[in-house]
Amino acid sequence: MPNIWSIGGGKGGSGKSFITGNLGILLAKGGYKTLLVDLDLGAANLHTIIGLPLPEKSISDFLNKKVGTLQETVEPTPVPNLYLISGAMNNLDIANLAHEQKLKIIRNIPKLPYDYILLDLGAGTSFNTIDFFMISALGIFVTTPEPTSIENIYRLIRSVYFRKIRQVLSSHNFRTLAEEAQERDARATVSNPDILLYIMKELDPEKGEILENELRTFNFKLALNQLRKQDNPNIGALICKIIQRHLALKMHFLGNISFDERVHNAVCKKMPFLDLYPYTQTTLDLRTCHKNLLTIDEAEPILQNAVD
Amino acid sequence: MKPFREQNYYELLEILPDASPLEIRRAYKRVFELYQDESIVSYSFFSKEEREEILSLLEKAYLALIDLESRVQYDRRLIELGLMDRDGQYSNKMKEPIPIYDFKKVHFDVFEPDRRLDDLKERVSQNAIIQGILAQDILTGADLHKIRTELDIPLEEIADSTKVQIGMLRAIEEDNLENFPPAVYLKGFLKSYARYLQIDESVVVNGFIKRIGEGK
Ligand SMILES: Nc1ncnc2c1ncn2[C@@H]1O[C@H](COP(=O)(O)OP(=O)(O)OP(=O)(O)O)[C@@H](O)[C@H]1O
Ligand SMILES: [Mg+2]
Repeated sequence: MPNIWSIGGGKGGSGKSFITGNLGILLAKGGYKTLLVDLDLGAANLHTIIGLPLPEKSISDFLNKKVGTLQETVEPTPVPNLYLISGAMNNLDIANLAHEQKLKIIRNIPKLPYDYILLDLGAGTSFNTIDFFMISALGIFVTTPEPTSIENIYRLIRSVYFRKIRQVLSSHNFRTLAEEAQERDARATVSNPDILLYIMKELDPEKGEILENELRTFNFKLALNQLRKQDNPNIGALICKIIQRHLALKMHFLGNISFDERVHNAVCKKMPFLDLYPYTQTTLDLRTCHKNLLTIDEAEPILQNAVD
Repeated sequence: MKPFREQNYYELLEILPDASPLEIRRAYKRVFELYQDESIVSYSFFSKEEREEILSLLEKAYLALIDLESRVQYDRRLIELGLMDRDGQYSNKMKEPIPIYDFKKVHFDVFEPDRRLDDLKERVSQNAIIQGILAQDILTGADLHKIRTELDIPLEEIADSTKVQIGMLRAIEEDNLENFPPAVYLKGFLKSYARYLQIDESVVVNGFIKRIGEGK
């Protein structure tokens, strides 16, 4: 099974594609066979970040049955070990993706033969985006230090969280328990997941635990992108703290990624930033995030024991 | 995890049951800043009502714990409920005799640094020369020396407090590259130095490491 990372963030332009592309390059350079999937269907541009012209093949070939398997839509890139599935769609966009098509994508991505698969998601919190995000339990949220961007991150996290709770509530016949909980405390709704969870656990410890464990499978990370010198460097860590404290979710801070005007140059030159500007703070930051992603993951079981 | 509203006062303020009044004050300041309505991190997370509820809970916790008498009462309740260990109480720790000759030192250690740090931070932020230096991309030892003399802090004091050898600090300020330790240690020394002067650690470390890169 490949390791799959979803990269999301409510707001457009926060740097999801930039980070996905550069993390992919770092993974590939580290010797991992890595696939980037551009799931920003209709507005795909991930290829540009890694220095590829508009790919000929795209995920729509698979959806339109032009090719038989998803693997056939994979394009090689100039970076050894790095591959891409483009999300460019001729006449489709994510908003009018049929349910069957969505399921086809969700089912087939985990079957692809790669060490790492990175999913670059579009902005917004549409159902389709959330469902793509949930292909993996490891979600990387990207925000900038701007209030609007942070606000959208919260919206996205809540949407993912609620969707999960709803899934569990319906699949395990939990409905009645949830109703009982709400009778006991009117605030115990999906909008107050911490209270809901707590009361459900009191009413029925076994089921409460199932729900809690389901939520615990989420392994969220946060990257704070485009941090400028005058910004407060602690914002990212504090966001994680709020999420951990009030949504009872695992949320690790990966690090700050400095703003650098030259990112624009790299995009315009259609060259990977990492290669064009290897000795910049921003590249250093990207490397730190990459390292944290690999090491935090490995350290997880130990950490969890220590906390529990 | 317990929902926020069910947490006890110590949990709310994220402190241990034996926290000192100074720690309580600091903790309250920290959480207050996080949850107040201007906070960029929390304003869009909570509704107005939620925020008010949280802030009033935190205030209640703070007021109950900062007053020694009400704290003892609160602790007693936690102990009765089996939520707190008798030995973990601050009031117990207080009962341990404080050697008389140590009193001044204890007092100094606990209260002075706080004021010293706030005061220093203020001076750093008000000083145009220091701010100018910190805005540079690259920092040299001479720059650090300039900052320190602006703040009028003797090198001996830093060495004494940070336990970094004075020779090492001098080498840094004099850009004496040959005498630098391996980068990991150097970074640690720079951080201690920056922390003592209340200037941004990462700015100092990054700026200085860059400078070494250029110097080679
Ligand atoms: N660290 C950075 N410093 C400077 N500019 C950046 C940085 N990260 C991203 N950018 C710029 O921000 C713009 C948006 O980046 P990107 O396309 O990665 O965002 P996105 O989140 O994928 O957007 P969308 O939601 O539209 O797909 C790009 O033009 C890029 O040049
Ligand atoms: Mg994008």
